Amino acid sequence: MGTVHARSMDPLPMHGRDMAVHPDDMIEVQETEQETKQEILENKDVVVQHVNIEGLGRTKEDLLGYEISEVFDAKNLIDVMKKSHIARQKLLRLGIFKEVEVVIDTSDGADALPNGLDVTFEVTEMKRLTGSYNTMVGNNEGSMVLGVKLPNVFGRAEKLTFQFSYGTKETSYGLSFFKPQPGNFERNVTLNLYKVTGQFPWSSLKETDRGISTEFNFPLLRTNHTLKWEGVWRELGCLARSASFAVREESGHTLKSALSHTMSIDTRNSAIFPKKGALLRINQELAGYTGGDASFLKEDFELQVNRRLVWDSVLSASLWGGCLFPIGGRPSSIADRFYLGGPTSVRGFGMYSIGPQSEGDYLGGEAYWAGGLHLYTPLPFRPGRGGFGDLFRTHFFLNAGNLCNLNYGEGPKAHLQKLVECIRWSYGAGIVLRLGNIARLELNYCIPMGVQSGDRICDGVQFGAGIRFL
Amino acid sequence: MSLAAEAFVSQISAADPWPENATLYQPLGEDQILLSDCASSLAVQAYLRMCNLPVQVCCRPNAEYMSPSGKVPFVHVGNQVVSELGPIVQFTKAKGHSLSDGLDDIQRAEMKAYMELVNNMLLTAELYIQWCDYNTAAEISRPRYSSPYSWPLNHILAYQKQWEVRRKMTAIGWAGKSLEQVYEDVSQCCQALSQRLGTQPYFFNKQPTELDALVFGHLFTLLTTRLTSDELREKVKSYSNLLAFCRRIEQSYFEDSQAGSSSRGFSKGPSLF
Repeated sequence: MGTVHARSMDPLPMHGRDMAVHPDDMIEVQETEQETKQEILENKDVVVQHVNIEGLGRTKEDLLGYEISEVFDAKNLIDVMKKSHIARQKLLRLGIFKEVEVVIDTSDGADALPNGLDVTFEVTEMKRLTGSYNTMVGNNEGSMVLGVKLPNVFGRAEKLTFQFSYGTKETSYGLSFFKPQPGNFERNVTLNLYKVTGQFPWSSLKETDRGISTEFNFPLLRTNHTLKWEGVWRELGCLARSASFAVREESGHTLKSALSHTMSIDTRNSAIFPKKGALLRINQELAGYTGGDASFLKEDFELQVNRRLVWDSVLSASLWGGCLFPIGGRPSSIADRFYLGGPTSVRGFGMYSIGPQSEGDYLGGEAYWAGGLHLYTPLPFRPGRGGFGDLFRTHFFLNAGNLCNLNYGEGPKAHLQKLVECIRWSYGAGIVLRLGNIARLELNYCIPMGVQSGDRICDGVQFGAGIRFL
Repeated sequence: MSLAAEAFVSQISAADPWPENATLYQPLGEDQILLSDCASSLAVQAYLRMCNLPVQVCCRPNAEYMSPSGKVPFVHVGNQVVSELGPIVQFTKAKGHSLSDGLDDIQRAEMKAYMELVNNMLLTAELYIQWCDYNTAAEISRPRYSSPYSWPLNHILAYQKQWEVRRKMTAIGWAGKSLEQVYEDVSQCCQALSQRLGTQPYFFNKQPTELDALVFGHLFTLLTTRLTSDELREKVKSYSNLLAFCRRIEQSYFEDSQAGSSSRGFSKGPSLF
């Protein structure tokens, strides 16, 4: 996309630098037929005199000043190119430009130094409003999804997105406003307003959530933190008349107001097929303290460690765990408990079909753990190497986990005892397909072991997609 | 589960005898239940008592949402859930308990007609008074209806319910009526019932039917529930044979069993005496 052009310059002693940013400077210097001198530029000292940004419309200049200021620190041409490249990446990351091109040229004009350089970022802003429209069919339901996005609403990389889905059964919508801190894109605030409907056939449960949430993201040392408050009105109902009475009893309206904190460290080189690095994510949620009917403390963590072995194969180990402590003597809600099982968690078991159940409806548990050991290898004989074939991996896996309810009168030792009894585990092999950098599809042959009565198993071929995987 | 499979299951379970642990669910009796729900719940309780089918009354704040039809009361019998009087009557009939077997076709048609009258007039009038009369809605219905919920859900749900009932009233042409007109409708309905009852102990002479249970549920609730004004109660009270009818059913079906087993949940509310 972007191109970096370097043109020759006269090697002359250094002078003071002009630190001014002229993003509005619309004069493009185009000296097409300049006398070309062959010089070795690598070691030459240069001075970046001007950094211009061209093509700005509604974007505020002060925002971009932070992103490109480092270009002025460059001392030689290679440095200028490197720093310009970084600045370009930073500009693109803001999500407000369609294209960013970098032009490096010798300085021109009255105050031009002989070794002065002008760096020009030629940007193309995104349209003020972008929209998308698509239709979806599935789950005995057809729906039409309408999306509207306003990148850069107020000129400082604020983003307003609205998505509306009109279905034959349900409508849902989401409105989100995102505002980064200028010059510190990782530190941002998001406001959300939404209504979502979920159908969970494994529990015969239908859930409609209407909520607002405020999220504050910030990096701290090498970790990323998210502080969130969420107020959500939840409406639970039975999916069918035949739903078990335990699920029926949970029907109705509840209000959850929860504060949560997530800390994550991610040193992996890729989110879907990591070759090295580790991920640790710890999440805690306190509900009820700020109002609402639901009150509980929920803790859960996720750990993944990857190690590269011979022939591009990778050994990956993951461990999940979590606990839900109801507060104030009220039992936990079916919507807050943990679920386990499925093609991307404990494979070989049905989707969320492990643990406590009533008449075939899975009720979830208050504590769980799950662990996985995977050996990922490229496809046998590596077809489509360096291209299409790299979207695939074969893997051999060993998964284990357990989910149960805890009686909090028994003490921690009894809880641990309960979680190591009757462990569900499975092993098998399969093919994994990467979908973008957010999700993956898996086709596995699984052999479930340690099956407890009531668990729904998937002995043999299992297919599934997931964003989060064990 | 498919419809056919569901029907099959209900056929199978119909053969089972009435279990001891049958439960009737209704909203919280003290703080939440409203006139119309209370009347419907009492009608079902009276019907089951007339059939001599034991049922435990269980109060749940989310009873309305637990119900498969969204209406209270509902009974949980074995693994079946059935809501409202009509389907419950059908359900007990499938299990071999019926109060209207002794009636001939004309009587049965008459019974159905009077039941429709009660549902269309008394139940609708109760809903109207609860949600369309400004004072009753503001002082009684909304606070009681929303009592289990925390702010701001209490306001949202109460107004949502009110809008829903008002829409229904508009649809059936009751929205334009004044409170006096509704009282007059109730009075006319009582007049018709009073005339039909005459001097008989029950509507179809000696044996009570589901019509008796339904009329009892509504009239007894109207007589014993405190509203913003006493006008409605006085209107019903003026029909002495209906008053005696309510006393009779209360005495024969509620008082002895209450003395007999205190464990059997009973939520009829205050007595007429």
